[in-house]
Amino acid sequence: MKEVKLFHGPNHPGMHGNFSVHLTVDGDTVVSARPNPGMLHRGFEKLMERRSWIQNIALIPRICVPEPDINEAVYSMGVEALAGMEIPERAKYIRVIVLEIARIMIHLMSIGGIGGPTGLYTAPNWGIADRDLFLDIFEKLTGHRVYHMYIVPGGVRQDIPADLLKEIEEKLDDLEKRLVEYRELIFDHPILHKRLKGMAPLPKELALDWGITGIGIRSNGFDYDVRKYDPYLVYDKLSFDVPVCDESDAYSRLLLKFREIPQSMRIIRQAIADMPAGKVRIKLPGNALKWKVPKGAVYSRLESSRGEYGYYMVSNGGLTPYRVHVRGASYPQSLYGVEAGLPGTRLEDVAVWLDTMGVCAPEFDR
Amino acid sequence: MWEKVKDITRGHSLWMLYYCTGCGAIELPPTMTSRFDMERFGIGPMATPRQADILLVTGYLSTKTLRRVIYTYEQMQSPKWLVGFGSCTLNGGIYHDSYATINQLDQYLPVDLYLAGCMPRPEVIIKGFKQLMEMIKTGEADGWKQYQDNREWYRENQKKALGDLLYTTR
Amino acid sequence: MLQKDFIAKIKQEFGLDPAHIKAVAEKKLAVTVDSGEALSFLIYLKNIDFIQLSLITAVDWIDENRFELVYTLVSWEKNLTVSVSTFIPRDNPVIVSVRHIWPTAKYYEWDINEFFGIIFSGHPEMGNPLFLEGWSEKPPMRKDFDPQAYSYERFPSRKYDYKVENKGRVIE
Repeated sequence: MKEVKLFHGPNHPGMHGNFSVHLTVDGDTVVSARPNPGMLHRGFEKLMERRSWIQNIALIPRICVPEPDINEAVYSMGVEALAGMEIPERAKYIRVIVLEIARIMIHLMSIGGIGGPTGLYTAPNWGIADRDLFLDIFEKLTGHRVYHMYIVPGGVRQDIPADLLKEIEEKLDDLEKRLVEYRELIFDHPILHKRLKGMAPLPKELALDWGITGIGIRSNGFDYDVRKYDPYLVYDKLSFDVPVCDESDAYSRLLLKFREIPQSMRIIRQAIADMPAGKVRIKLPGNALKWKVPKGAVYSRLESSRGEYGYYMVSNGGLTPYRVHVRGASYPQSLYGVEAGLPGTRLEDVAVWLDTMGVCAPEFDR
Repeated sequence: MWEKVKDITRGHSLWMLYYCTGCGAIELPPTMTSRFDMERFGIGPMATPRQADILLVTGYLSTKTLRRVIYTYEQMQSPKWLVGFGSCTLNGGIYHDSYATINQLDQYLPVDLYLAGCMPRPEVIIKGFKQLMEMIKTGEADGWKQYQDNREWYRENQKKALGDLLYTTR
Repeated sequence: MLQKDFIAKIKQEFGLDPAHIKAVAEKKLAVTVDSGEALSFLIYLKNIDFIQLSLITAVDWIDENRFELVYTLVSWEKNLTVSVSTFIPRDNPVIVSVRHIWPTAKYYEWDINEFFGIIFSGHPEMGNPLFLEGWSEKPPMRKDFDPQAYSYERFPSRKYDYKVENKGRVIE
């Protein structure tokens, strides 16, 4: 009965991002686990208090690195709620298209990301190459591959041309044919069935107790999704389903991400067909760098690929925000979930647990 | 003369330590996989620092990560090279007034090549690696020799920024 | 559940002053309570189906010499979001911990203790580092801490030599 201390450290092939877990193992079983966050800490909340309301748009996409558009969208929604602005209809449809393309891209990357913990290295090659074709669309639309700075308070920065919409539809048709190959490689693979089915389970009571949102709670039978329960932008006018599963283990969580991709494609096709004509941005009063937002406090949230992502914003009537607090979507399961959920699992399942529960280090380190 | 042959062969098979230290790491998987294939130049990812040649510091470094990067750099066997990726290694970038990130990587570790941008594209990474290969063949890239010669100067700068160099486990 | 029915229910069952309840948006409420009865109000809300604690935020009102703590609770079944805020004095910031009600509050409160210096009584990890390592100054998110001065003094920056050819004018 000898206990050994191991570092599932920041430099590990099965770890996504810079986050380390201190494990105490006895033989092959984990006895206790302790998270060690803070390696990507930049002090964002203090930096946001020192820049004006419009200058923050250049800083904010770097909070969540794989999916940067949700930061801009939630910040703009919060500022518009505080200032009482109403954006044009066409801007709302364009924001929905951009957010859903970002969701498809990050699901492709995380389905491919199962290659690190399990050893199936064909999956990341496919996933990241298919994601790159959508990065070309963002480059034509906004000018940058990764950090777009496209969604601003008041609408979007510029209009989307018609031939780019046609190109998006062609790429979605190509992706639909590729999804059959993904299913044959990953989800019908007998070795991955033995490796993932029944491993890293998440019981229903613990998921509700810990406050987990997103894939973790939808794989337990509840269909809690912010797009259906608290609709923002134009999600109440579009029709889509929210896939759920009955039992939550590593295989069903991965399968749920795969089943959300066709629903996002459905949303994009409807939004392209229903989009009205008109302006895409309203002008801010006076000089944009000297714009003051009225006093108040609001909590705005939206549904990211990992769960409920929210900002709590406080304004004091000044040129800069008074306080902005970022709620990363994977905060509950990364910090408390690691301490309470890992003891009892096998050592080789730690990487599978961290991958399928959607631990993304930059968003809770800020 | 034997050194020149060794330099040429070293330049054609560099192994890079796959350590994502900051936000620039999101452009590393597209460089390594099939679209902008990096392996045709002989560069491949490696898991441990004992068997790697290049350490790629992707972006900003918080003080907690800097302790571990110094530890990793000293574990690598020479000859070794360090590439600074992104504008945050040059002058602090967009986080220049943050209390948790360093502003100039040159003071703590010797850098052979900088790639500016926020963030640089995969084609820039490949062009930078080709330039590094040229520098290795001519013998220009000798950051590891400077680290051995000026060790006290680097140590003094590291202690001024970090305080305590060994990382304390809880 | 409709928002106005819910406001009537909590006014009647808990006896709150109607001036302290505000409807911020269509499904979001903001309630202000005293620090003495914050714990019992939170337990009451958990029993009527607000089982998810989304966020605990601290705001530093330095001019009024007090801290504000905001607990954001979400109920999916009732489809409402409630932000409960209390005020504690800045010179002696102590409040009771809620980690026996929601276990994930352990890390939210540890986070606030590290960045603001607020003490949660009954919490085992007060004063220990979580995100920062080897930090010996005052808590960094307080309003009287200047990050730029700290950064330029401790991490020296690269010197560029340049000369100014044309000085611009300030926009008013």
